[in-house]
Amino acid sequence: MMRAFDRAVRYAAPLLAGLVAVSCGGGGNTITGGGSGGGSGGGPVPAAANVVSVVVGPGPTNTGINTLYTTVTVCVPGSTTACQTIDNIQVDTGSYGLRLLAPVLTLSLVPISASSGTSLLECTGFVDGFSWGPIALVDVQISGESAGSVPVQLIGDSRFPAVPSDCSGIGPPENTVAQFGANGILGVGFLPMDCGTLCAGAAVPTSYYACTAAGVCNATAVPVTSQVANPVTRFATDNNGTIISLSSAAAGGAASVAGSLIFGIDTQSNNQSSGTQTVLTVDANESDPNFGNFTTVFNGQTLAASFIDSGSNGYFFTDSSLPACPGSNSEFYCPSSTQTFSATLQGLSGSSTSVNFTVGNLNNLTGGIAAYPSLAGTTPISNSFDWGLPFFFGRKVTTAISGYTTSAGTGPYVAF
Amino acid sequence: MARRFKMSHPMAAAALAVVALWPAMAGATLGQPEASVQSDGIGLHGSIKQATDHPLYRVHEIQLPSGTAVREYADLNGFVFAVAWQGPFMPNLRQMLGAYFDDYATAAQSHGADHRHLEIRRADLVVQSAGHMRAFAGRAYLPQALPAGVAPGELQ
Repeated sequence: MMRAFDRAVRYAAPLLAGLVAVSCGGGGNTITGGGSGGGSGGGPVPAAANVVSVVVGPGPTNTGINTLYTTVTVCVPGSTTACQTIDNIQVDTGSYGLRLLAPVLTLSLVPISASSGTSLLECTGFVDGFSWGPIALVDVQISGESAGSVPVQLIGDSRFPAVPSDCSGIGPPENTVAQFGANGILGVGFLPMDCGTLCAGAAVPTSYYACTAAGVCNATAVPVTSQVANPVTRFATDNNGTIISLSSAAAGGAASVAGSLIFGIDTQSNNQSSGTQTVLTVDANESDPNFGNFTTVFNGQTLAASFIDSGSNGYFFTDSSLPACPGSNSEFYCPSSTQTFSATLQGLSGSSTSVNFTVGNLNNLTGGIAAYPSLAGTTPISNSFDWGLPFFFGRKVTTAISGYTTSAGTGPYVAF
Repeated sequence: MARRFKMSHPMAAAALAVVALWPAMAGATLGQPEASVQSDGIGLHGSIKQATDHPLYRVHEIQLPSGTAVREYADLNGFVFAVAWQGPFMPNLRQMLGAYFDDYATAAQSHGADHRHLEIRRADLVVQSAGHMRAFAGRAYLPQALPAGVAPGELQ
């Protein structure tokens, strides 16, 4: 039982996905956004140059639940023929920049140099491990949008096997598709690059490194122009943010959920910020630990380190009345029956809205479920409420990039 | 509160002992003597801040160059029973978890959820970690070594 979740997702999903896809297609959803108006109501939007399809699905390894994927094309800079289209790229509003798993790359990409005789590499730390690899420039094409010579990370590049001990000390490696759970990750959060002035001004261990061909690596400072960049900010237009529009998921879960990733805010007819949506301004101070956060009021708690994050697979908050799942899924909640809660989200500028959400029991999930709207768990961060991917189901969620202007205000903000 | 005052006398004595040993001690590894704080400070490239006394433990804070703060909790016998971290970059957990790191990494690898949350809960080791790019926090502690009266939630 303790491994029901992991094992069901890892091994049963490929067998059952087809069956469940038929039965769960157009189910309803129990999440509603009280108080939010025209911004709610997600799902795929008509094809356009600034729209790319996204899907919540099992991913390349059938390990994922509530993981959002899309497809990107990358080319050798300046080439229109040396290009590769890569699917199963995770869409993540909680990170910044494009990272590709080198084992799936067929292009010949040259790492950029850090200093004389060295290549620039990066250690990307995640909660559950590290991803290591060189930085290279690529031309990025996503649907009809394009950006030239964007610094991206090539994770798990066999040309650079030696990992600095500060990096490998973060946790287990996530340098293969199986370890990472995706062919890459598209970080479209609030920041235009992944480190900024901190890494430009100093060599930060567990961040950027200059490595010799022999594999001797030293932490190095990196100009912001060479840091891994949020590709959206490099588009000619439609570069001030994104909108993720997802269909709802059946209460009991679904094999997949369809949607669209729309580039730009108030730049085209299909990305207008409606006057009825709720705009939550977030902490705009990049050097503040609360950067990107707003306040959630839940169950009498005022949680100032709250955020909305497509890269989190559930709602994560503290409620001691909810029982933990047994065994290796102990960070998730497993109530005996699905429960409905309400919370208030407050932006720094004072706007607020009430949101209902549900918490279910993941051990009741059957195989083949890749989207579950009631997945929730604990967080060790005492003042945090993490509104993960279930929050996006049935909504349009706008992420405005820091310093970029829209009709609804200057980023960073999140709106829905 | 009653407990706090009751503990204040032995605590004061312990605090004096710590001051006497300072700066020989500063930086500590989970499951190791408090003196390992020093080696952690070096291993993490961090600067060691003043220790803070609580009735039931001492907290050594190490400020990392990445901006992340590491806190190491030693009981009144000088045994490091917990470590915690918070900041823009994940710290070097191998340094902080010491002998427990390999077990941690193995358990973390078989964990298939997402890149944002991780909990390892065993009888002898608990690790809780969360966060997204530029904002991480977590704690690791030895449940069997937790001083009586200390709640895991206060290890921040």
